[in-house]
Amino acid sequence: MTAMDEGVKYRRVTGEAVEYEVFARKTRGEPLHQVGSVVAPDDDLAAAYARATYDEERWIEMAIVRKDHFIELWRPGE
Amino acid sequence: MSDLSNLVLSIADNKQMLGLRYAEWATRAPSLEADIAAAAMGLDDLGHSRVLYGCLDPLGDDPRGADRESDPASLSALPYFDEPWNSWGQFVAANAVLDTAFTVMIEACVSGNVEVLQHRLRKMLNEERYHFMHGRSWLRSGIDAEPLNEAWRQAIEWFGPPDGDTAKLHGDGMLSMGPSELRARLEEQLETRAPEVVGDWKRWDPKRRRTSPGAIDERTFGMLRGLEEKRFAPASKQA
Repeated sequence: MTAMDEGVKYRRVTGEAVEYEVFARKTRGEPLHQVGSVVAPDDDLAAAYARATYDEERWIEMAIVRKDHFIELWRPGE
Repeated sequence: MSDLSNLVLSIADNKQMLGLRYAEWATRAPSLEADIAAAAMGLDDLGHSRVLYGCLDPLGDDPRGADRESDPASLSALPYFDEPWNSWGQFVAANAVLDTAFTVMIEACVSGNVEVLQHRLRKMLNEERYHFMHGRSWLRSGIDAEPLNEAWRQAIEWFGPPDGDTAKLHGDGMLSMGPSELRARLEEQLETRAPEVVGDWKRWDPKRRRTSPGAIDERTFGMLRGLEEKRFAPASKQA
């Protein structure tokens, strides 16, 4: 099993942390697009980190999703 | 001095000190993300303090005196902020308990009958949501009991005595919650019971909303007044 299969995990001071992708958009007319990622042990902290890290621009919407919740259709090189 | 102006000044002074203490951890937190969150929350709370200071004039009774330029003990911040924090546990306890206590009081102001507070403080509640999520998550990961109990004790003292100013403001409709409701709301938010705290109300200073004397350290006081900047000014421009 690769790291991608189980989600990228990092050792944290207390407990395991996982990677979350951060998506946002500035207008209703545009789709959500990825603006970055954060590493956190739970959804609450990931939301707080995403807001702190990527709130410089005037987004009308921001969302996060656990990287290991992605359903991949194919990967680079496949 | 009105009880309401004094309370708003206390929220402002505490948020200013909370913001400064958060900022001191912007390069010392356990992860890069936590560093950034500390910096962002510090900026939020310093901004909130500016908005709150700006409410004093419309309230018609600004309790700030000239002694705020010379006497650190004239500020209305809690003992928890008197000295820089030396452990992450102190940061987390302040983030989870004290920051949320201030937010609960702001909720009481926003839901009260004072128009300027209803309008100007509402936006803070959105930003504070992320402070709360940050603090609660770190709290769940576990911290020492000592800073946590101290934060709870000071939060409950800060809410005021059962028959004090916040109870009166609640009775007048200016606050939607009195001391017991504020405490219950804080417990509800943090999903835990407060440790048993017996308030020493005879020693409670109603202006500073604390029972112990003391004040912020001289260096921090100098920084608040802009005096620390003089150390970095060119020698020829120094007074």
